[in-house]
Amino acid sequence: MVQFNYDASDISIRDDLAESYRQVWATVGRPGNWWSAHDRVAIAQESRNARTCALCTGRKSALSPYGDDGHHDSTTNLPGAAIDAVHRVTTDPARIKRDWIRDLSASGVSDAHYVELLGVVVAVISIDAFNRAMGLALEPLPEAADGAPDQYRPPGAKDQGAFVDMVAPADLTVTEADLYGGNPQTGNVLAAMSLVPDSVRMLTTLSGTQYLTMHEVPNPTTNGGRALTRSQIELTAGRVSSLSDCFY
Amino acid sequence: MAGDNANLTSVVEGSTEHSGIAGGDELTAYAEAALGDDTDSIAAARDQVRAALGDDATVDAAAVIANFQRMVRIADGTGIPLDQPVLIMSQAIRDELHINDFHGAGNSAPLPWHKKVLGRAAAPFMPKMLKRMAQSRKIET
Repeated sequence: MVQFNYDASDISIRDDLAESYRQVWATVGRPGNWWSAHDRVAIAQESRNARTCALCTGRKSALSPYGDDGHHDSTTNLPGAAIDAVHRVTTDPARIKRDWIRDLSASGVSDAHYVELLGVVVAVISIDAFNRAMGLALEPLPEAADGAPDQYRPPGAKDQGAFVDMVAPADLTVTEADLYGGNPQTGNVLAAMSLVPDSVRMLTTLSGTQYLTMHEVPNPTTNGGRALTRSQIELTAGRVSSLSDCFY
Repeated sequence: MAGDNANLTSVVEGSTEHSGIAGGDELTAYAEAALGDDTDSIAAARDQVRAALGDDATVDAAAVIANFQRMVRIADGTGIPLDQPVLIMSQAIRDELHINDFHGAGNSAPLPWHKKVLGRAAAPFMPKMLKRMAQSRKIET
């Protein structure tokens, strides 16, 4: 069965969107740097579980999201700290703190594990969000391939002032040379997940079809050939960001 | 950016504020509905976009809405500071729209006084600077 077959949609959907989703699904279903493919698919599943999780709903309305140590509504065998991380990123990302990420390490979810988890969660969330916005069913999650994570950590990763280490363009090695499109400078949002290069690759794959390519973004005259004008695109983007309480 | 005069308040206040951009009210309403779980509301908002802007624009809008649900989580999940040039040039907008009240504002170190002054001094010229930049890019392309 072809994944992301949008033939049933009453609105014609661009082929490049479906193709980018297939690429990301294939990446999710492969072993990563720090998680097995089975765990990566479990992470994806938990991002879906989080949307109806009672604990998450309660925390969202609480003054502090760090007071309730209850149990999430989960369906996987991921470690508890990982499930908590997935659910927090999904339902209450604006209140994530540096200390909490540091404490994850003590629970066995290292900074690199967290960034890979984040990469899977946000990729799946954005693909699911597209389907929901279009009134379409969610795509079945990918089959998980066998194999062990390779534990690759970019040697150029450093503290750049964020909660996790990042790789600046000047510190890229051959292995991750493609991450920023050859640009000598990059925005922090592109470098944010560079501790796990495939997390950035999934981001740029999806951004290129859902929004604009990294080369198009800085050019205010282009709309990437979309049916929306650039102003319409940025208005929509800004509204989503505002509703998500996102400062960046 | 493209010479449109937009009401930026619509970004934070939503579809009750006219954006001044064609189809803007429908797009903001679609974004608001799509971030919720009411499938009927999402469908109704999608139909409004479709009626106002057409099928292709509706797909683009759904894609942008989806894209930024990813991007906001990346930014907040990693605590990245706002890039310095943007931090400097966006002071007035952030003040006007109360964006500095958002949780993630604390991830960006406060600007030193001289950069604050630079940003505020340059702010009135931003629209012209962006237009000139846009024109130079058009010539290049």
